[in-house]
Amino acid sequence: MASITRRTVIATAATAAFVPVTAIRCAAQNPNQPRSLTPAQRRTTEMLADRIIPADELGPGALECGAANYIDIQMADYLAPQKDAWVAGLAALDAFAMETQGAAFADLSVEKRDAVLMALPQNLQAFFNMARTYTMQGTFGDPHYGGNINGKGWDIIRYPGPRPATSPDMQKMDHEAEPYRKSAWGNE
Amino acid sequence: MAINLKPMDVAVVGLGAAGGVAVLPLCRAGLKVAGIEAGTWMDPHKDFKADEIHNNTRAMITTGNKIRREAPTIRNSPTGPARRGGPSPMMNAIGGTSIHYHAQSWRLKPWDFKTVTEVTKRYGKSYIPQGSTVEDWPISYDELEPYYDVAEIEVGVSGKAGNIKGKIDKEGNIFEGPRQREYPMPHLRTCDYLEHMKKAARSLGWNPFHSPAAINSVPYNGHGACGYHGYCDRGGCHLQAKNSTCFSTIPKAQATKNLTIFDRAQVTRIVVDANGKVSGVSYIFDGMEYFQPAKAVLVGSYTYENVRLLLLSKSKAYPNGLGNNKGQVGKHYFGHWDAQAGASASALFPMDLNIWYGAILSQGVVIDEWADDSFDHSGLGFIGGASMTVNTEKHPIAAASGSTWGQVPRNWGSDWKKWIHQNAGRTASAYIQTNSFPYETTFLDLDPEVKDPLGDPVIRVTTMTRENERRAAIYAQDKMEEWFKAAGAIMTAKGNPNGPNLSTHTYGGTRMGDNPDTSVVDKWGFSHEAPNLGMLGGSVFGTSGARNPTLTIQALAWRTAEHLAKNWKSITG
Repeated sequence: MASITRRTVIATAATAAFVPVTAIRCAAQNPNQPRSLTPAQRRTTEMLADRIIPADELGPGALECGAANYIDIQMADYLAPQKDAWVAGLAALDAFAMETQGAAFADLSVEKRDAVLMALPQNLQAFFNMARTYTMQGTFGDPHYGGNINGKGWDIIRYPGPRPATSPDMQKMDHEAEPYRKSAWGNE
Repeated sequence: MAINLKPMDVAVVGLGAAGGVAVLPLCRAGLKVAGIEAGTWMDPHKDFKADEIHNNTRAMITTGNKIRREAPTIRNSPTGPARRGGPSPMMNAIGGTSIHYHAQSWRLKPWDFKTVTEVTKRYGKSYIPQGSTVEDWPISYDELEPYYDVAEIEVGVSGKAGNIKGKIDKEGNIFEGPRQREYPMPHLRTCDYLEHMKKAARSLGWNPFHSPAAINSVPYNGHGACGYHGYCDRGGCHLQAKNSTCFSTIPKAQATKNLTIFDRAQVTRIVVDANGKVSGVSYIFDGMEYFQPAKAVLVGSYTYENVRLLLLSKSKAYPNGLGNNKGQVGKHYFGHWDAQAGASASALFPMDLNIWYGAILSQGVVIDEWADDSFDHSGLGFIGGASMTVNTEKHPIAAASGSTWGQVPRNWGSDWKKWIHQNAGRTASAYIQTNSFPYETTFLDLDPEVKDPLGDPVIRVTTMTRENERRAAIYAQDKMEEWFKAAGAIMTAKGNPNGPNLSTHTYGGTRMGDNPDTSVVDKWGFSHEAPNLGMLGGSVFGTSGARNPTLTIQALAWRTAEHLAKNWKSITG
């Protein structure tokens, strides 16, 4: 399995909208943390998160922020009760992609993956909502849980970061406070 | 068989916002107090984090195992089926819900205590909402004022007075009842957004003021000032600048050496002697049953659990539950018509508001022109109204997940990402709290089917929509929209207020009154039937007011406890 560093991802994201990765290992994250997904499930999860919040000229998307890593880790932890539904949803997504676009979801181009998501049948809507919810958590939540690597997701919405205390200047309108990109738990 | 413990003077059930205050006057009077709490201490350094997943998404602070299993059921008609409600309103910990609350610390208005008299005088009896069981409280604002004063000082409240002994100050709330003095601390810091909203309110001829809060604006009570980092909602304060009772009144009570805290102790019954007096409480700790004898018992376990504990505590003297020989326990219940009842308004602005940081409602600005009886209700078809608060504190997941106001076709993909990049920090919502009243068909009883793991039934909430409150909330939403538009909002949205569900603002069930046929406790908070049983919390309220209940709960808790200490022999003898 290819191992791509954070630096590579940032460099790649700056030059290309689509980042062809199979798995991301971030130096800041513990590789021994239990994961829940098979490599194939992980890859589908990544390719799905990538379309929900894509990398573009505004910067990295959910994939580069580690949303799939969040899902992989949390499905072995707090979200473990959701794992069966998640895996079943990935399988159903693949089946629908195969039926309509002729390949598994993760093997499709950006355009075809978007086409699949725009045409989702009713029985996949609940799974898509779940995927969006967890992608949001893994992109905008605290880095402590395995997503939002280095707080990069907060740049997407220009959230200045969870400081322990703030000055009056940091609440001025039309004034962006210096980004603060640390986890509330003291690790990145 | 239960293990008998050493007798104490007073057993206080629940060390939250109410019980955590009541212990202080008791201990200072030299009484030996057992503070019995189902939860335990939380650690501000380990447990309280600026982390939305921890506080909000997963509700790690607010929803422990006990309360999940004891969540009430709820139904929307007196005969319909009930469904299991969410666990959010209650909390087990030393400090209770005062750990994660927004720390709004309001006094109710004189009108709230005498609604029936005042409405009848100004508009005639026909203006009292149909089917309502509302009564005047047995006490007036003036009788409670000294206790508001002591609660503000002992808990620690910041704010700006609008009425000191009749002298009006437009920097404060000009509609408030007369206070004997200024707040112990100045109001919390302002910010650009709040100043912008104040200017807009003044352009409408309204009188904006900063909300009162149990949060230190300056060092107080041995703790530092607020850091305005913006994780107050459903989280505890890592700086201990929010005056949760575990950081304010409980440590002061401990310093007297008269308070013994029994934590992780789940009270299951209040025990009664052969004469119908309360003799102590039974609780479960680590799987074992204990009996704590006490000469008086004060119950402050939240509205739902106060009522449940009385209804479960059946005896020969009280076959239908403690203090319930007239069938009043659980009656006159009502939830607050606030955001939890669907009353809301929000806005999209054309500029960055920069309200990420702050202190939720407590770094807020309020309009009271459309609350209570601040305006003429002739011909409007409702009484009461709502307070409206605009505030700071936004969290990133919620901000990114919010409405896109119909401006992008999908809530995912590049167009959507561009939209949230620009606008996630440009939306604001307002908090609307409507005057709410009890009705014949809103009440609490024991669920006939759903039980907790001990085999005891949970509370069943019967509630429904009300035309009076719905009209008042809709009226206030329109005023709020007007305020947002005056401030330059490019889009606004309003809620559909259709009635309270399970709520953090619940009232009645052990109503306070002079008449034992329509109330459970007397004007001091003691049972009409069991003289040494006192009730603490929103369950004694007869009306809600248009504002958060906690300071009134705390003023009443202090008053009930002080009354017990001052009349010890006559109450316990």
